[in-house]
Amino acid sequence: MAFNVLIVDDSSTMRAVIKKTIKVSGFNVGQFLEAGDGEQALDVLKDEWVDLVLSDINMPNMNGLELIGRMHADEIMRTIPVVMVTTEAGDDKVKQSKALGAVGYIKKPFQPQDIKNTLCRIMGEEIVDETDHDDEFETGDF
Amino acid sequence: MKQIMTTNLKQAISNVLELMFFVSVQVMEDENPSSEKPLNGQPCIGATLAFSGPLSGSYYLLIPQEMAREITANFLGLDDDEVSGNQAQDTVKEALNMIGGHMLSLTEEPDNFQLGIPAIIPELDADPGAYSGSRENAIFIKAGSYRMIAGIELS
Repeated sequence: MAFNVLIVDDSSTMRAVIKKTIKVSGFNVGQFLEAGDGEQALDVLKDEWVDLVLSDINMPNMNGLELIGRMHADEIMRTIPVVMVTTEAGDDKVKQSKALGAVGYIKKPFQPQDIKNTLCRIMGEEIVDETDHDDEFETGDF
Repeated sequence: MKQIMTTNLKQAISNVLELMFFVSVQVMEDENPSSEKPLNGQPCIGATLAFSGPLSGSYYLLIPQEMAREITANFLGLDDDEVSGNQAQDTVKEALNMIGGHMLSLTEEPDNFQLGIPAIIPELDADPGAYSGSRENAIFIKAGSYRMIAGIELS
């Protein structure tokens, strides 16, 4: 099954890298959609069919935590799984995002297999481990 | 504490640049930070990122423009001549963002720190040496034929 993935990050470079990394990982994507902050993401979510959201936390205008909160307040949007892709150093914001409804997190810097494993777990796809892992960097579901 | 943060910053620079940008780096421990042309006179792109917590201040990272274009091309899977100036700046900001977050994760109490949003240092086009040379504890990093500068400033 192919999934429509919305990537939310204020860095256009990071959006491109996440897109490229997901492609390289082999995760099955139908369409990539992009947004530069939480507000733009909500606009995309209103207009497009999205199966999965990958969102940064620290963004201007509307950050990732506010975005999850707004999605959770909407009957349809709350059913869309959200994975946080973050540089946050500690666990507090990761825990906050979980409390608000996020289903997983990926800490930057990341490797393609880390993204694929997290997305496959969340979307119920089979995981094929093709690369070595560097356990120094954290990813996972909650 | 600042010494520990500086040590962590070196580790974070190495980890992030090698893992995300495929750039092997070497910290030049005996380099004089006040040298007149710390980046060999090359025009560079600089970014700064504020942090707050038990200590507050900012990180900075100065990268030669040519190197920024190269790592952006690697990062995005493009040819060097396809990389725009904005993309190169965005890459430097994102590199610093990842370095800052990773560096704080190496501290004992990462949850006590908050990171800001990275910003480009506008005056660097004119005189990169003036920016880094006036600062204490600048870290000089060798990456292939390029040199970069990073550091922490406490407020």
